[in-house]
Amino acid sequence: MKQEPHAPRLRLPLTWVGLLPFVIFVVMFLVLPTMHIVIGAFQTRDGAFTLQNILDLNSGTIPSSYWISVKISVASAALGCLIGFGMAAAVVFGAVPRWFKSPLLTFSGVASNFAGVPLAFAFLATFGPVGLVTVLLRNNFGIVLQRDLGFSILSFWGLTITYLFFQIPLMILIITPALEGLKREWREAAEVLGATGLQYWRMVALPILFPSILGTFALLFANAFGAVATAIALTGSSLNIVPIQLYAQIRGDVLGNPHLGYAMAFGMIVVTAIANIAYIWLRVRAERWLK
Amino acid sequence: MAFLTLTNIEKSFGAVKVVHDFDMSIDKGEFVSFLGPSGCGKTTILRMVAGFETPSGGTITIDGKDQSRLKPNQRNIGMVFQAYALFPNMNVFDNVAFGLKVAGKPRDEIQVRVTEMLKLIHLEHLADRYPYQMSGGQQQRVALARALAPKPQVLLLDEPLSALDAKIRVSLREEIRHIQRQLGITTIFVTHDQEEALSISDRVVVMNAGRADQIGTPFEIYNRPATRFVASFVGTLNLIEAKVVDAQKSTVAIGDQMIVLGEKIDLAAGSAVQLAMRPEAGSILPGATGNTTLTGQVVSSHFLGSVIRTRMDVAGNTVSFDMFNDPNMAPPAIGDTVALKIDSADLIILQA
Amino acid sequence: MSLWTRIAGWGALIFGLLYFFVPLGGLFEFSLKARRGVYSFDAYAKVLADPQFQQTFTYSVVMALVTIAIGVVLVVPTAFWVRLKMPWARPYVEFLTLMPLVIPAIVIVFGYIRLYNTSSFLPLTGSVMGTNLLLAFGYTILALPYMYRAVDTGLRTIDVATLTEAAQSLGAGWVTILGRVILPNVIPAVLSGAFLTFAIVIGEFTLAALLDRPAFGPYLQRIGANKAYEPFALSVIAFGITWGCLVLIQLVSRLQKTAQRPA
Repeated sequence: MKQEPHAPRLRLPLTWVGLLPFVIFVVMFLVLPTMHIVIGAFQTRDGAFTLQNILDLNSGTIPSSYWISVKISVASAALGCLIGFGMAAAVVFGAVPRWFKSPLLTFSGVASNFAGVPLAFAFLATFGPVGLVTVLLRNNFGIVLQRDLGFSILSFWGLTITYLFFQIPLMILIITPALEGLKREWREAAEVLGATGLQYWRMVALPILFPSILGTFALLFANAFGAVATAIALTGSSLNIVPIQLYAQIRGDVLGNPHLGYAMAFGMIVVTAIANIAYIWLRVRAERWLK
Repeated sequence: MAFLTLTNIEKSFGAVKVVHDFDMSIDKGEFVSFLGPSGCGKTTILRMVAGFETPSGGTITIDGKDQSRLKPNQRNIGMVFQAYALFPNMNVFDNVAFGLKVAGKPRDEIQVRVTEMLKLIHLEHLADRYPYQMSGGQQQRVALARALAPKPQVLLLDEPLSALDAKIRVSLREEIRHIQRQLGITTIFVTHDQEEALSISDRVVVMNAGRADQIGTPFEIYNRPATRFVASFVGTLNLIEAKVVDAQKSTVAIGDQMIVLGEKIDLAAGSAVQLAMRPEAGSILPGATGNTTLTGQVVSSHFLGSVIRTRMDVAGNTVSFDMFNDPNMAPPAIGDTVALKIDSADLIILQA
Repeated sequence: MSLWTRIAGWGALIFGLLYFFVPLGGLFEFSLKARRGVYSFDAYAKVLADPQFQQTFTYSVVMALVTIAIGVVLVVPTAFWVRLKMPWARPYVEFLTLMPLVIPAIVIVFGYIRLYNTSSFLPLTGSVMGTNLLLAFGYTILALPYMYRAVDTGLRTIDVATLTEAAQSLGAGWVTILGRVILPNVIPAVLSGAFLTFAIVIGEFTLAALLDRPAFGPYLQRIGANKAYEPFALSVIAFGITWGCLVLIQLVSRLQKTAQRPA
């Protein structure tokens, strides 16, 4: 494609016009609303600048809701990474027949989008009070899920396991290209130099994959942190996570201070932004190494 | 004495046989090149020596020990790959130290050995660099140092120069040979570039479709090619069609010129035969020596500087010959009739 | 490949298969239990006959189509323009399109409610039509990353500059170029983006719930809180739709690959 010479000054505005509709749309319906929230987090009711809202985040049930959100996000991200890695590795390295790969990736594409209310019902139908597995265990093995294994779907671990349904596939989708990017020559070079399989993984493969794994962990974390619908559908409002609190606040100002809602939203943005920046930075690093 | 022997080596992938009955013994400290086009089996043999492929038949021994039960990480072999294969997460020092670390050598021993290796390849100042910060030539030198650091008994190089620029290729191949001589390590070098193979090897194995067409010194391979394939693959070659006149007297006819060859002919009178001749074999200069003459008309003449490449038509065959530039003699003109003086031994009968 | 590695590999895969298919199986099984003691499709029948289902599902489908239309009109010309005239701007535009993945939907809709309420310069929430429009815009933003990436990938495979110049030399204006030259060549990519948008909009909850619109997502959640077996039937339907959309995407991209080959 031939390189266009830099347009002379007079024509520059005209080229920009082509981009205008898009920019206006994104500004109006993404940037401005977000900025409104961010700025509102630092304002009082009368519009004066204040840090009080941010400080107020440390009151009532808010800190604990952040803490629970963080715990669920970490748990589902960590498990998602681990299990997703195992499944992707099994298929890429041929521990299971190669033709598994395509159906696995397709299914992962579907499953990673299957979130929200229907997902909650799927797990309710399986592990809920009269769910398939619950009933099966009770009738055939005499195990009562809640009593004997201490497990209830309407709880922290219940939500975590439900979130895994889209976390694991997302991990599989992102880590499979990274695993395939491990050059065969690295493994052979390591072997010829005397390394065992374990040594190769410990000294070469895992360090190479580490930025990708960590980056995906950050992405999964952000993903879980912002999820609302599944949580509401599964636990009602009984599990006190940040999105649910924010949801209640938006709905009916239960906290009595609308700007506190802004602060909570701002808090969410900060958390997901940090996680996403970490993801991007780690991706760039991983790609630079592998060029 | 033979250090590395390959006996009756065969390899099939499914129904496809890629290596047929390969035999060879390599002496300690010898530098052997495996030369051939893609798919001829040279890399497969190399990988069998390394242990990445298992021979379908035959044995490989190193220093008397049968290698068939040994895994690649047990054979104490150094290998350099076409794609360098440096570990991207480690700097130069750690890459070179890898084999020693894996073997559990103590830290100070590793330090000494790695520094020694980096000095050998003249890259001590790059010890902290990462692979993505270096050029292809530098990476390949580091790969060489990495392979040699654990003092392997055999060095294998799989087309190590193919991914590099032409200039680097020439300087690096000489460096490889120099280091190899210094260390006296038995080496197998796989390449498709005949100039590489000829210039640095003790012996060359020319491979064709899974078979060794010829094993010999570069001089032998070039001047006495055993098969048509070897003759055409190595160097430029003139192919001349001739007809056998008298097998006993080794006489053939090229057009209507009677030529006596320097070797015996096994074919009946009247049969067609192909002769091969190197471009530097003959001369049209006055005072040239040779017991045979080929006469023909000049078709083209190219002045290449130090060399003049002329093409002449000999009874329908295009024969190309080179001569050095002489400021006192003008190049032949198109249409001139010239007599090319050659030695009868320079016309080689090509086997089918 | 050692035995242990193989066992571990199979173990991971079987675990995965169980984990993914048991809940889906449980969902389906539960949805068939409406009639006491016997499996039946009663729950599905009730759901499909429910006027609320029909209303909200229709609403969401219409919304999805509107969102796709807005998305195509917005993204295709922009991606084209950037590729043609401002290639240096691509990283920045891409960054913008990835922002919706960073900012949670709940924050976006919170911003909408606060910014575009009845006392703002653009009182969209003041009217039903306005709110519907706002919802469509919100959906467009949510689907933006996927739509842009799909279209951009599609544009990458055709030589935008040469096609445009050829069309211009034949006298075509920008609208003609976009509508008759560029768009037909990126249809597979656009369709991929469209199906993904469809799947996203149908299942979306947060935006619709907080803007109080009669969409399928909030309906699902409401039914879940009230009825016994219908929610599960609905979820099976929702899953089937998502699955269908992605299968269509796969089909379309396979068609695109074979279509490219002659070039």
